[in-house]
Amino acid sequence: MESFEPYEEFKPIPLPVLIIAVALALWGVFTLLDNGKAVTVGRAERSDQIADQHANRQNGAELFVSRCATCHQPNGSGVEGAIPPLASSPFLKASPEVAMHILLNGIDGPIRVGDATFEGHMPSFASVLSDADIVRLVTHVRGTFADRHDLLTEGDVATARLLAGRRGAWQGGQEIAARLDASLGPQPPMSSATQAAIDPIAQKLVSQGNGQTWACASCHGMRGQGSASVPRLAGLPAAYIAKQLGDYVTGKRRNETMQLVARTLKPQDMRRIGDYYSVMRAPSNARASLGGDLVRGERLVLDGDWARGLPSCVSCHGPSTFGVAPSFPALSAQHPEYTAAQLTAWVSGTRDNSTGRLMNGIAARLNDADRRAVADYLATLPPVPAPATRGRTNGK
Amino acid sequence: MESEERERVEGGEERARPLMGRGVRTAIIAIGGGAALFVIASLAFDAGIFSDRGEVPMSPDVAQAQMFQPPAETSIPDGPAGDAVRRGQAIFVNTASNAGDFVGNGVACASCHLDSGRRANSAPMWAAWVAYPKYRSKNKQINTMEDRIKGCFTYSMNAQASKSGGPPPAGHAVYKDLETYMHWLATGAPTGANMPGAGYPTLEKTSLGYEPARGQKVFVAKCAACHGADGAGQLDINGRIVFPPLWGPNSFNWGAGMARVNTAAGFIKANMPLGQGSSLTDQQAWDVAAYIDSQERPKDPRQTGSIEENAKANHGGDSYYGKRIDGRLVGVGTP
Amino acid sequence: MNRMVPLAILALAILAFATLMLVIAPAIQIRSEAPTPGLKPYTAQQLRGRTQYVAQGCIYCHSQQPRSIDQAPDAERGWGRASVASDYAYDRPHLLGTMRTGPDLFNVGARLPSRGWHLTHLYQPRAIFGWSIMPAYPYLFERKEHAEPGDVVIILPADRAPKKGVIVAKREALDLVAYLQSLDHTFPAPTRAVRDDGYAEKGEPR
Repeated sequence: MESFEPYEEFKPIPLPVLIIAVALALWGVFTLLDNGKAVTVGRAERSDQIADQHANRQNGAELFVSRCATCHQPNGSGVEGAIPPLASSPFLKASPEVAMHILLNGIDGPIRVGDATFEGHMPSFASVLSDADIVRLVTHVRGTFADRHDLLTEGDVATARLLAGRRGAWQGGQEIAARLDASLGPQPPMSSATQAAIDPIAQKLVSQGNGQTWACASCHGMRGQGSASVPRLAGLPAAYIAKQLGDYVTGKRRNETMQLVARTLKPQDMRRIGDYYSVMRAPSNARASLGGDLVRGERLVLDGDWARGLPSCVSCHGPSTFGVAPSFPALSAQHPEYTAAQLTAWVSGTRDNSTGRLMNGIAARLNDADRRAVADYLATLPPVPAPATRGRTNGK
Repeated sequence: MESEERERVEGGEERARPLMGRGVRTAIIAIGGGAALFVIASLAFDAGIFSDRGEVPMSPDVAQAQMFQPPAETSIPDGPAGDAVRRGQAIFVNTASNAGDFVGNGVACASCHLDSGRRANSAPMWAAWVAYPKYRSKNKQINTMEDRIKGCFTYSMNAQASKSGGPPPAGHAVYKDLETYMHWLATGAPTGANMPGAGYPTLEKTSLGYEPARGQKVFVAKCAACHGADGAGQLDINGRIVFPPLWGPNSFNWGAGMARVNTAAGFIKANMPLGQGSSLTDQQAWDVAAYIDSQERPKDPRQTGSIEENAKANHGGDSYYGKRIDGRLVGVGTP
Repeated sequence: MNRMVPLAILALAILAFATLMLVIAPAIQIRSEAPTPGLKPYTAQQLRGRTQYVAQGCIYCHSQQPRSIDQAPDAERGWGRASVASDYAYDRPHLLGTMRTGPDLFNVGARLPSRGWHLTHLYQPRAIFGWSIMPAYPYLFERKEHAEPGDVVIILPADRAPKKGVIVAKREALDLVAYLQSLDHTFPAPTRAVRDDGYAEKGEPR
């Protein structure tokens, strides 16, 4: 053996390597624990998403405050000349089914409460309240304002809900009295204003397009409900829709697809499409999906945040965010992806067509979390109770 | 470049050009150190150590934030006192529904006192509460808070056209609830002190003066979209007032403070268009206030004789009451 | 090299450990996942479209894995909620994708439901988005003098339309669009769904 294999002396692992190894191990353990927390949060978020859709966990009083009080007022007094009071309302003293049917279908016509007649446009809550919610709400409202305590079951609501989908809003108090409970007393008849006849030209434009562009309904849906970043159009003011289409042509509002569509439309087409969608009542298919803080969203929408110079949404878009024609669109039941995208567009300048550039300043003062909060909260609201007759269009 | 240097260094040129080698080494260390510092700094920035990322600049309302802050709505106490605060707030925001017998038009307290009476420079209630009782030249006597609120109902809410035909009688629950609400808003405010943000700001007169004709242009451009071209405000689909009427039968009457051009100009400058306060120039604010306050509105309830007599007795300074615009006598009231 | 055996054992052990953690454990975790409630199996046409999606190389530029709002503003972009493992129950193999040269497509059926729009866009993306860098797929379409019954004529702006005749979609294009329209995962994810929730706690304040 000529070659000599050198003898390898035993050397301990150098201290720095040991330190690095221990540090790496600690880091690994820490990451695992940290991730455990993230998993818990993630699960809570998902369970919230499910809860929002299936079983709202609010009790009757909370539901009343969040769902009814913006119109009927926290003390149930209603609004003089506009919103009927709940206290001493014959509709609440009647059987619980009456209140349930009104909640499910909404009202679009005159009703009489006490000595006053109201031109009612109440939204349908069928798409935003679960059966259990409606039971809790009806029980609370009737107990509080009419001292009636007979109960409704979830089964009743489920049965009524099936029928509710097939019919539109109640055409005023007379129809409710005739169909549900004759004891409601004399109710005013539907005004003679004719039910808006569906414009066949607009209907063809919406459902089939004009041969040069895609049909409106191919994205916005047959009922104008939209989905995700495609906005809901049902119930928006006619003049607002027509203006947006015009603004796509001029470039004040930028969206490549809609610009292409709008260029093929004549101004009278735009007005027809606006009229067509403005009288449409469609259930909400919007869901809070951006993980926004709904409590913060509610505060911003109803009260604003004056410390940051933010007026409330309702101060211009109306106390129920049902819009004020022609300049202020309805916001309720809008898809949160769309709302958040528009709030971003006001800042980035891809949209620059708001009245007095009011929205530019407001959007710039909302941060990311606020944007998501507002968009998500608005998505939880019931759809606009669009007046179905042309005789009584939005506002004045 | 770097490897070339190293080759030369290893090639033994170090001895020939020692300064060069040291320079390269310094450069490498500097670049490496710089890169390391950059990485650490950007990691720190990412972790939010340097600044509050995502926070929107608060510039528009720094002034507001530095003024007196009334208590948050969530801190209304429980019990009878808290209930009165809540009732007062409901009256304040929704006057026509909650004090409907005494309101003769489409105006609520919160129409002029923005953010439920909290907003500085829009006559906030926390500043008003600590300023009363006080002497007012308007009626030449000491006014308690109840007297002052009565004035609001009489003029701004045009109580003469209401169901009851006048303001709430002395000691009425409406006063008690409203005063309880104001008292609560002023929690912690110094009594009698001159609080910043009280009332409406006083606007300096401009050299041009004010003129309704110029104001009409401003109104059409900046105000009409919300308040309507006819100044009658706008309603939502249920007939609820969203934008209050500025003139006409449903607006405040000739006795209201807002019917004076200087008061209206101060309010407009600080608060209008809503969310864009201080965006109008002083000249625009004066002109548009002049346009609004030269339009006809419900008659002054103090008028007993002729308009001229009432103008002399109760209207001086910046008011169109009793004057003639294009031959039309201003102040006759609306039908 | 006089410690061959321990060295080999160590190397194999490390390999085995890595396989266990990165292959075996995830497989065990995922195999018990039932499809997300609301998820529908593909139809035959959608499956053909899925093959087209693979064949045309869509996956090289488009991902199918929206991230949670805590990780990226994907939901605000309209790309939908964060996907979970059970959303891919009918995808064999999954088409997660790694690149986002184009937008995520996991919910493209919800945010762009129009068949006509997709056909135009596949034929010539720049007919809609002048700035688009997506390749055109004209060979999925054909020009005809006249549309025959059953043909789907695509809508083109005047400057992109052929001078004569019409452009109709071939079956491949219709299949691909049917697949794209089926990509709609707007139903909620199960609470205990498997997904990487890292950074979820960073969402505060929410």
